[in-house]
Amino acid sequence: MAQGEKLFKGNCASCHKVDAKLTGPALKGVKAKWEGKGDIYAWVKNSQAYLKTGNPMATAIWEEYKPTIMTPVALSNEEIDAVFHYVDNWAPPVAKVVDNGPAAPTDEGSNNWLWLLVLALLFLVVGLSLSGVKRSLANAVNEAEGHGPLPETTRMQTVRAWMWEHKVFTSFLGLFLVVWVILQLWDAAWVIGVYGGDEVPHYKPEQPILFNHTLHAGKADKGNLASNGQYCHSSAEKSKHAGIPSTNVCRNGHKAVNAGRSEAGTKEIQKIYAHAGWDPDKGAYTGKEEPVRWVKVHNLPDHAYFNHAQHVAVGKIECQTCHGPIDEKMDVAEQWAPLTMGWCIDCHNKTEVKMAGNGYYDEVMARLKGDEKLGHHELKQYLEDGKITVKELGGWECAKCHY
Amino acid sequence: MSSKKQYWMDAADLRQDPEAMKAREAEFATPMAIDQVLGDSNLQGANTNRRDFLKFLGFSLGAATLAACETPVVKCIPYVSKPEEITPGVANWYASTFYDGQDFASILVKTREGRPIHVKGNPRFGINRNPSLDKGVVNARINSSVLSLYDGERLKGPRKRNEGKLVGTKWSEADSAIDAGLTAASAAGKRIVVLTNTIISPSTRAAVAALKAKHATVEHVQYDTISYSGVTNANLKSFGKRVFPSYDFTKADVVVSVDADFLSSWGSSNEYQWQYATRRNPDGAMNRHIQVEARMSLSGANADQRVMVKPSEVPLAVIALHDAIASKAGAANVGGGLSNESLKHAANELWSAKGRALVVCGSNDEGTQVLVNSINSMLGSYGSTIDLDNHTWFFQGDDAAVAQLVKDMNAGAVGALLIAGVNPAYSLPNASEFKSGLEKVGLSVSFSRYADETASLCGWVCPDHHYLEAWGDYMPKNGQYALQQPAINKMFDTRAWQGSVLKWSGSDVKWADFITETWQQNLAAHGGGDFASVWNQSLHDGVLVSHAIPATAASFAGDISAAGAAAKQAASGAGEWELSLYTTEAIGDGQHANNPWLQEMPDPLTKITWDNYVCMSFADVRKLGLPDYLGEQSPAGVVSVKVGETELKLPVVPSPGQAEGTIAIALGYGRGANGERVGKAAVVTDHNGERKPVGQNAYPLASLKNGAVSYDALNVSVSATGATYPIAITQTHLTHMDRHSVVKETSFATYKAGDKEAYNKSHTLAVHEDVNEDGIIDSRDRKPVAAFDLWAEHPVEGVGHRWGLSIDLNSCIGCGACITACNSENNIPVVGKDEVRRSREMHWLRIDRYFSSDTKWEAGREAGESKISLYTKMEEPSASPSVFFMPVMCQHCNHAPCETVCPVAATTHSNEGLNQMAYNRCIGTRYCANNCPYKVRRFNWFNYVTDKFSEVNPAWDDLGRMVLNPDVTVRARGVIEKCSMCVQSIQAGKLKAKKEGRPVKDGDIETACSAACGTGAIIFGDLNDTNSKARKLVETDRAYHALEEIGVKPNVSYLVKVRNTEEEAHHA
Repeated sequence: MAQGEKLFKGNCASCHKVDAKLTGPALKGVKAKWEGKGDIYAWVKNSQAYLKTGNPMATAIWEEYKPTIMTPVALSNEEIDAVFHYVDNWAPPVAKVVDNGPAAPTDEGSNNWLWLLVLALLFLVVGLSLSGVKRSLANAVNEAEGHGPLPETTRMQTVRAWMWEHKVFTSFLGLFLVVWVILQLWDAAWVIGVYGGDEVPHYKPEQPILFNHTLHAGKADKGNLASNGQYCHSSAEKSKHAGIPSTNVCRNGHKAVNAGRSEAGTKEIQKIYAHAGWDPDKGAYTGKEEPVRWVKVHNLPDHAYFNHAQHVAVGKIECQTCHGPIDEKMDVAEQWAPLTMGWCIDCHNKTEVKMAGNGYYDEVMARLKGDEKLGHHELKQYLEDGKITVKELGGWECAKCHY
Repeated sequence: MSSKKQYWMDAADLRQDPEAMKAREAEFATPMAIDQVLGDSNLQGANTNRRDFLKFLGFSLGAATLAACETPVVKCIPYVSKPEEITPGVANWYASTFYDGQDFASILVKTREGRPIHVKGNPRFGINRNPSLDKGVVNARINSSVLSLYDGERLKGPRKRNEGKLVGTKWSEADSAIDAGLTAASAAGKRIVVLTNTIISPSTRAAVAALKAKHATVEHVQYDTISYSGVTNANLKSFGKRVFPSYDFTKADVVVSVDADFLSSWGSSNEYQWQYATRRNPDGAMNRHIQVEARMSLSGANADQRVMVKPSEVPLAVIALHDAIASKAGAANVGGGLSNESLKHAANELWSAKGRALVVCGSNDEGTQVLVNSINSMLGSYGSTIDLDNHTWFFQGDDAAVAQLVKDMNAGAVGALLIAGVNPAYSLPNASEFKSGLEKVGLSVSFSRYADETASLCGWVCPDHHYLEAWGDYMPKNGQYALQQPAINKMFDTRAWQGSVLKWSGSDVKWADFITETWQQNLAAHGGGDFASVWNQSLHDGVLVSHAIPATAASFAGDISAAGAAAKQAASGAGEWELSLYTTEAIGDGQHANNPWLQEMPDPLTKITWDNYVCMSFADVRKLGLPDYLGEQSPAGVVSVKVGETELKLPVVPSPGQAEGTIAIALGYGRGANGERVGKAAVVTDHNGERKPVGQNAYPLASLKNGAVSYDALNVSVSATGATYPIAITQTHLTHMDRHSVVKETSFATYKAGDKEAYNKSHTLAVHEDVNEDGIIDSRDRKPVAAFDLWAEHPVEGVGHRWGLSIDLNSCIGCGACITACNSENNIPVVGKDEVRRSREMHWLRIDRYFSSDTKWEAGREAGESKISLYTKMEEPSASPSVFFMPVMCQHCNHAPCETVCPVAATTHSNEGLNQMAYNRCIGTRYCANNCPYKVRRFNWFNYVTDKFSEVNPAWDDLGRMVLNPDVTVRARGVIEKCSMCVQSIQAGKLKAKKEGRPVKDGDIETACSAACGTGAIIFGDLNDTNSKARKLVETDRAYHALEEIGVKPNVSYLVKVRNTEEEAHHA
């Protein structure tokens, strides 16, 4: 079964679906249909050659699908059987109710503030009326005791008098408040222009097409598609840019998948067709292309140079290290890491360079360990703890990222 | 005894120059730039008082803080269908070819996301490739050519002339009107002339032939802006071939150049440069180079010996050489040659190197060139250093045919004129006649990319593509082909001019397809295999070498006595002053005068930018009472130069090495003098606020003599006008003041003797200990500089990488290609004449030029001369000095004085030996620039991407910005910048090695300057790699560090210059 699935996905799935027509016919039950009417193995292996035998079954299929030729498939009979076994026993995935649509806009934060404000006002009113009550009571007591009413003072005067009485406490409180405000401002200043990390809400702009990363890249056992991220972001291994896939790459995938898991999803797929200039009904390009204007999520300042290839291809860093659980809980792409310089160099300080099996680093090590007369104490001591971090190879130097 | 010590600030102070003294009364030499620095045009002129200022300040601070909190939304727009070969962020390189009628080179074009951003020589193929280095030579004009692609003044579609003005039109309209015009002209039997520069393209020739097949009266006239008619005509008379031969300087042990600046402008200089450089290695077979000339040219500056003659003496000098050699060869003498001992000596040297000698001559006089051919023939150069069998196809222009065309135009005999690649209304000596004739031509069509001097007078302008947008093919030499492929889609509504010609010949074939067809036919004729694979390989390489014929000796068949008479005729009629016209390394014949990188590149010898001027000897300058010191506060004096009726008023620049009684003026300046839009930087706002062309047009001073344009005027009147003119000069001092720690020079004999201390003395310092153990502590107790250190050692030696440059002063010819390559790679702003004048040029790499002085310190002291008088004399260059070129960029000192004074640690050292500059950390104190002993740090006085600099800075507009290198930050106002040793290329090279899992190989990484240096003067490498070329050079005896005595331990080292000057000249 597993072998059949693998073979099906590897050899057939780009033109055949199990239960629906694609470029070629649906494959479920095909083997039974052919039973006794012709040699299905020969047909699969080389349809054009088999067609020449004049088999009526083959001719009928050719008439329906021509001029598309099924490319010859190099599978053995056993393997072909495995494919048909998989196909015939395939069951459509149980439609899990996964709410992948964008979350309804809630304004929890500001609601909380509002409630707090109302509560505070309530307390103030209660407090003021209580103090009024207290004053009336005190006056009543005084009257009863024959002392005459309390002197007419404004509340401000009362507060001042109280503060004067409690000088030390007030001074400390004042100092505390000033320091607290400064600290708050200081903290706030640190996160100016920071749109990721633990301390600020993540930058999560609305995109022209509601692409769902988790759905596409998430693990298959959770109902996701588990595509390899570098199918779409292929230049991450070659270039400084990870690259956004061209619209045609999206269309390629969605040539087969033209319906979403919800109506909203189908609508988004339609947008891809519109941008790529693809007419799904006719199965042809219209020529009216319009590039997708995505909103860039991760913005580095212009004076900072970052190279994906260095980190992905050489450093073997997982995408998730910087981009967060993009495959688990990121329906809409967001800036996960703070992308501050502190965050960069913190990682450079901790991360060990993956030197093994790389001739470049062999040479670096050879020079570090080389001639005793050469070299420098400062660099040689890097070897003492038995590991080399990025920082030790110059990962903290200005011109590694700024030029 | 009372003595009063005198101190002075500079030479002007010592002389008590009244002008300079007056200028000094003001505390600040120039008004402070503070208003400009604040200079928002909204603030200027407003009555801003202090309170308002504070309000503005407060508001902007608040606004800036608020604005900083808002992230701008950045869009990210991917391709709809990504072209397979493009990966965003990764550069693609395409092999192509540059040819503009004066320069030819096989090149590589670097493109990023489909935009060409850099041009360098093809390291694997082409005639300009130096095979010993695997680098291609391209001069500054070629590597700057990428900028002109993005010139906003290019024509954006076809134009037609309507009521005296050029107005926009459609291609269909132009095509039908021109087709009708051509038909009418040929029906009337009038000449239809296709006037072009020299066409070396087989397909273009076929396209013109196709037009001729349709219209019988079509003729093709070729016109070289800088004429070589004299040379090619002489070859016709001498050998029956009207061609420009191939020269091979690699085979020449002795080179005598009579007024030919073969390293800069004469002939196929991109080829000669590398050939010459391979013979300047003192460890190999070093050649001997004698230059005979009036103006100090780039070739003269590199010569071992220089003989000064006046322009009128050039033909006589050739006669003298001829007769001296003819006497030895037993051939007939001409008689009447110049009597000069040096020439006799040169003739002896040539004769003793018979078969390995070469004489070249820059004169455009046919008679003189016939004599030169005779000399080379007697020396057995043909088949050895000169190849007539594999001759070039350059310089086929015929001045006589052009002159005839102008006559016919005025006579009304020309029915149609199609002009491509040339600008005769600007560059013809008789341009006014051409202009009047053009009015009588029924149909005039220009293919110019700009509405330039000629195009703006034509009836139709059908703009051609820029060469980076166009297809093309070339045949530089017999059997050698080159392809030009577009590196970008056309940006405007332009059309290849050959495509237009094809269209008008009734063909519907596209120009690109036409080239493939022509190639297919030609290859079939040569019996050349599978066409598709040959074509693809040729396109990939940029070059196809189909066959080479072995060079043979040619038999000279010229008439010596007639040639001698013609030469003497050319030498006659000399007056008080003689003028020679020349082309500069940057501007050339003037077609690239609109390129700001070139305008701002200092002239290799005078170090002047943004102007042309009169070169004059110091003696003559003083005789005319003109200023002999030029600087920011010392403008040049203006003279009137009259040749016949033509007068030019130009500033005078005192030029060491200029023969007395002669002057020289550069061609190629003064573009757009009548308000034509010839491109952005050709016309700029001058110091008076007027928009004026850069320099003045000197072509009218040339004249047609004996069927060829002569660039010498022998009877000139020169008079001072009393006016002055500010000059933007980047180096105001002329000599190195006998400081041998900056430039070191030795003779070939001394070098060969092998004693390093004799020519590359190591520096020592006196110490307070008895080093020599003679019992006394005195100045003889010395230790080498390396033993001293103010700083702790930097951890770069022996571990990891240590990047460095080795600069060979012997191979550096001073051409300046490295400067423009650096501009292109590192997004260096152009600042314009006014800022250069204030010493605010931004070049990361400069070439210091030093003239030798007759006064030597030690000799003068021994003769008992006072120090003051010695210093004064040492500032004075010799009348015919030897010249040093020294490229200076950041030396990346391991003990960098700049790093220790930065208060914010914006400049630090990397453990790979680089001196790093973090722009965003820099607060602009400029302490580092103050403390730099090499003066290589540059300060951004302004934000150069503002309208103030819109005339000159290419990055100003959206179009110009496309030339920027996306891997290098564009620096903002208020920060220091300097050479980074192309750290972006180093990082990219390392990454490539890491991805491939191998060590960095020597040659993997090149800086922009080292890649541009086809003569091999600048070599980049890892000094910790014992096998690297740079490391090996650093370990040779010739290596030294500039200012070694200050102990800053640079990672850039120099190699001592060796001149082949000894009397017993050494030949291989």
